[in-house]
Amino acid sequence: MPVLRLPKFGKPVKYAYITGRVRAMKTKLIPHEMYQRMLGMEIPEITRYLEETQYKEEIDSMAKDHSGAELVEYATFANLANTYRKLLRVSIDEPQFLILEYLRRWDIWNIKTILRGKFHGASEEEIMKYLVPAGELDPEFLEGLAKKEKIEEVIQAFDGTDYYEALTQFDGHMLSSVENALDKLYYFRMERAVGGTLSVGSGLLLKYVRKEIDVKNLVTLFRMNKAGIEASVIQENLIPGGKLHDELSRMAGQSYNEFVRGLEGYPFWSAISDVAAEGGSVSRIEARLRAYLVRYAWAISNYHPLSILPVLGYIVSKDTEVSNIRKIVRGKEAGLSAELIEELVVA
Amino acid sequence: MVVENIVDGGILYGLIAVGAGLATGLAGIGAGVGEQGIGAAVVGVVAEEPGFLGKGLFLMLLPETLIIFGLAVSLILMFAWTPFA
Repeated sequence: MPVLRLPKFGKPVKYAYITGRVRAMKTKLIPHEMYQRMLGMEIPEITRYLEETQYKEEIDSMAKDHSGAELVEYATFANLANTYRKLLRVSIDEPQFLILEYLRRWDIWNIKTILRGKFHGASEEEIMKYLVPAGELDPEFLEGLAKKEKIEEVIQAFDGTDYYEALTQFDGHMLSSVENALDKLYYFRMERAVGGTLSVGSGLLLKYVRKEIDVKNLVTLFRMNKAGIEASVIQENLIPGGKLHDELSRMAGQSYNEFVRGLEGYPFWSAISDVAAEGGSVSRIEARLRAYLVRYAWAISNYHPLSILPVLGYIVSKDTEVSNIRKIVRGKEAGLSAELIEELVVA
Repeated sequence: MVVENIVDGGILYGLIAVGAGLATGLAGIGAGVGEQGIGAAVVGVVAEEPGFLGKGLFLMLLPETLIIFGLAVSLILMFAWTPFA
């Protein structure tokens, strides 16, 4: 498994094709007002609606084996993987290199899913349903991992790769330390691979990724500060590399009110001010921050129309769309109220 | 001899011809540079939305108008503006 590839770098015009294509693909995303309507629909109605959209192929092919919420969940994940693989297929040189570096997050997701599945004794079929083979690890390799009996065997399969060191942190009891190490590894690898190329496209990718790390750390802070966890433990869980890392790590361990007051004045404050001030749930704040991140990705892509940013904007929007559909369907299946689901949907 | 040529308009005619060539040629190169990005983007959009082909072709041909300006300057230089006629 190659860790670092040296790409041939081209001019911004190399981005013309892929940015044109993702902008056309963006028009096919589900409009925000549709989520409101989906909240009032039953699961079969949602499935029928999705059959009229880009999810048709996956729903049609999976309808014979699955039904209800399960069908929507598997079809959306399969569509997500197909869409991301398509982006890699239709891009060349620098755009392809940068897209792959960003999509490696799905390798991390898949490794985490397999570890969690093995940890809780899930079957191979169950694990396979939650995998999104959109990164570098191919579906056959992942299937092989899902077939292994023990976690130790899965970890052993990564011997000789970058993942191995992070995976060996597994102590047999807690997965959270391994998961945290994998997250840190993802961003560290990206900084190393992309940061070393010195191209304009790489700089723009890192600019967005730094923002993403800040948002992730912010959510961690909201969660842990609210739970009253010790500052040193929180700081260990923060991912390094964000633009606001030092400022955010100083906020670790503060009381909730003090922490929220300290956030005033930051660019993301207007997105969360009402929910954070009234002490709303972290998942609501997370949904607001996610929406802020999507808006940010598209906003900066307007300054650099022929760059990796419109592609990133699409990747993030597509991921958000799939997670919104899954939230609605899962919420409906669990019998949650429409208001509660609406709070979790990123709009 | 040189003086004679200038008086005849020999060198000047030559320079006018070179200028006319440059006007069309450089305009063509400029349009090509503009079109490479637009063309690639249009192909990308049409791959997703075949209905965009008509609009896309129109946008792609916009930089061609630059060549017409260049060609007009060339024609004026070659046939309309002849100081020694």
